[in-house]
Amino acid sequence: MAAACGKVLLRAALPARWFSSSMCRMNRDGEPTKFQPPPKPVIIDKQKQREERRFLSPEFIPPRGRTDPLKFYMERKDMIQRRKVFNIPEFYVGSILAVTTADPYADGKTNRFVGICIQRGGRGLGATFVLRNVIEDQGVEICYELYSPRIQEITVLKLEKRLDDNLTYLRDALPEYSTFDMNMKPVSHLDHEEIPVNKLQVRMKPQPWSKRWERPKYNIKGIKFELPEKKMKEAQKWKQPWLEFDMLREYDTSK
Amino acid sequence: MAGWGLLARLGARLRAAAASGGPLRAVTAVSGHSWQLGFAARPVHDATWWHEHLSEENVQFLRKAAAEEYRAQTASKLCPLKDEPWPLNEWKPDSVRVGVVAVKLGMMPIWTKSGKKHAVTLLKVQDCHVLKYVSKEDSGGKTAKLLVGGKNVSPFSKSEAEMEIFREAGVPRKQKVTTFNVTDDAIIKPGTPLYAAHFRPGQIVDVTAKTIGKGFQGVMKRWGFKGQPASHGQTKTHRRPGAISTNKVSRVFPGKKMPGKMGNIYRTSFGLKVWRINTKHDIIYVHGSVPGHTNCLVKVRDTKLRVYKDCNKNPPFPTFFADGDEKLPEDLYDQDMFQFTDPSVTYA
Repeated sequence: MAAACGKVLLRAALPARWFSSSMCRMNRDGEPTKFQPPPKPVIIDKQKQREERRFLSPEFIPPRGRTDPLKFYMERKDMIQRRKVFNIPEFYVGSILAVTTADPYADGKTNRFVGICIQRGGRGLGATFVLRNVIEDQGVEICYELYSPRIQEITVLKLEKRLDDNLTYLRDALPEYSTFDMNMKPVSHLDHEEIPVNKLQVRMKPQPWSKRWERPKYNIKGIKFELPEKKMKEAQKWKQPWLEFDMLREYDTSK
Repeated sequence: MAGWGLLARLGARLRAAAASGGPLRAVTAVSGHSWQLGFAARPVHDATWWHEHLSEENVQFLRKAAAEEYRAQTASKLCPLKDEPWPLNEWKPDSVRVGVVAVKLGMMPIWTKSGKKHAVTLLKVQDCHVLKYVSKEDSGGKTAKLLVGGKNVSPFSKSEAEMEIFREAGVPRKQKVTTFNVTDDAIIKPGTPLYAAHFRPGQIVDVTAKTIGKGFQGVMKRWGFKGQPASHGQTKTHRRPGAISTNKVSRVFPGKKMPGKMGNIYRTSFGLKVWRINTKHDIIYVHGSVPGHTNCLVKVRDTKLRVYKDCNKNPPFPTFFADGDEKLPEDLYDQDMFQFTDPSVTYA
C-alpha cells in the first residue's frame, strides 16, 4: 500500500508543473482515514515554490561592515517610499530595458534610452545599473541611478538572465550582440514562469580586448572562445585552484 | 659578578615559587628581597580588568544594577521643563548656544528638487546630556562654558574622581565629554537632554571630530610631496623628502614637514548645511563629509562663519525641549530637498 502510494507520488512529481499538490492529497484521502506518513521524502511542488518566490533586488542587501544597522534601516525606508510612488520593476543583468529620464536640454524635456543591462552596482539609495546599446555604429553605455528622481519610467522590454553576472565583455564582442532596436516591442512574460536563462555564447572581436576575458578569474561562461589551444592553456596558468579550499576566505553561503 | 649569581639564584627561587604558588607569592618573594637588591627583580603589573577578582554572580548583578540605574537616570531627565529649569531667554543675534555630541553613522545620497545629487552624512544624537556649567570667572576664559557628554558607556573602568561629574549631574557615564563656549543667556541646567531637533533644516553647522588614524606615514602620503622618479638611475630613493634645508641657514626650521604619525587629531569641517532632521531616531543629515570613521563621536555646533549669519536666525533657544509645547513631525526637510513622497522631477 505504502509502496504503491510512493510510486504514484513519484510519477506525479516528474511533470510537477502540471500536477498540483491537491492530486496527491486526493490519493491519500481515497484510502481509509488512518494517516500514512509518506514513505519517501516529501516532494516539493515547483509551482507552489514559484508562487512563494519573491525577487529581492540586490541593492537591499547591506554590505558587510561595521556600520550601524540603523543607517541601513533609514536608507531602506527611503527606498521603499520611493518604490511606493514609482515602480521599479524586477530585472536582471542581461534584460533589455527602456528608461525615460527628465532632461532639461532635450526636446519634450524627456530622454528615452533602450539597452541591455550590463551590470548592477551599488547598495542602498546609490544603486546603479548600466545600459548598453549600439546607436549608428557607436557603442553607448549609460549608467542610471535606480532611485534618482529624474527617472520618469523604467520598462522591462525583455526579462531574461544570462550566464554571467557581469556582461562588460560585450564591449569586446561583435557589435551585433549589443544592438537593440530603440522601438522594440516588449516581450510578454508570465508571472508564474521561471526567468529564462539565455545560454547565448557571444563571438568576440579579434584580440587585444579591454580585459583578458579568457582568464579564469573572470569566470565567464557566455563567450565562445575561438582562441588557439595554446592561449587557452596559457590562461589556465592564472587559475587559483586552492581558493575553494581556503578556510579563512569569506564567501556567499546563502545558497 | 657576585650580584649576577644572586640574581640567578633569585630568579630560580621566583620560578619555583611561580610553579608552585602563583603570581601573588612570587611578588611577596621579590618584595622580601628588594631591600637587599634595591629593585624588584621581576616587573609587577597591577592593572586588572574590573571583574577579574569578582565572582560570576556578582558580575551579573553589577551589570544588571548598572543597566537599571542608567534607565532610571535617563527616565528622570526626560522632562527638563518641569524640573526647575534655569531661566529661558530669547535668542539675540549675538547669542551663542550649545552644540551637540553625535555618532557618525555613515553617508547617503540625496537629491534636490531640481534633480541635482548631493552626498550627506548621517549623525545620530545618542544619549546627549548637559553635564556641567562652568561660569566665566571659574573657567578664566571670555565666555561661560557648558560641558556636554555623548554616548552612554559602562561605568566600571573609570576611576571615582572621573565619575564625579556624571554623578553630580545624575546622568550615566558618557564616552565623549566636550566643552562649548556659550553666552550667558544660553546656559542650561546640567542634566538636560539634548536632541537632534536642537538643529533645524536649513541651518549651517560646523562638525569637529578626530580624523582616521593612519599611523606612522611617510612624507608623500602625509604632506603630499612628489618623491622621486621610479627609474632613470635613482638609487634607493623613490619616496624620500630630498633636501630639508639650505646651507646658509645651517639648521632645520622648526615645523619642517617630515614623516610622522598621521591622523587621529581633531579637525573641523566648516559651513555644512543641515538637510533633514529625523526626530524619532534623532538623526541629523549634514551636507558633505565629516572627519572621523563610522561610529565615531562628533561635536556639532552652529557655524562660526560670518557669511552664514542669516541662515541661523531664530533657532530653538537655549535648546529644544521634548516636553515643551512644540510638537514636531517625525521628519523635517529642507525646502530644496526632494522628498520621496513626491512624484518624479520634471522640467516644464
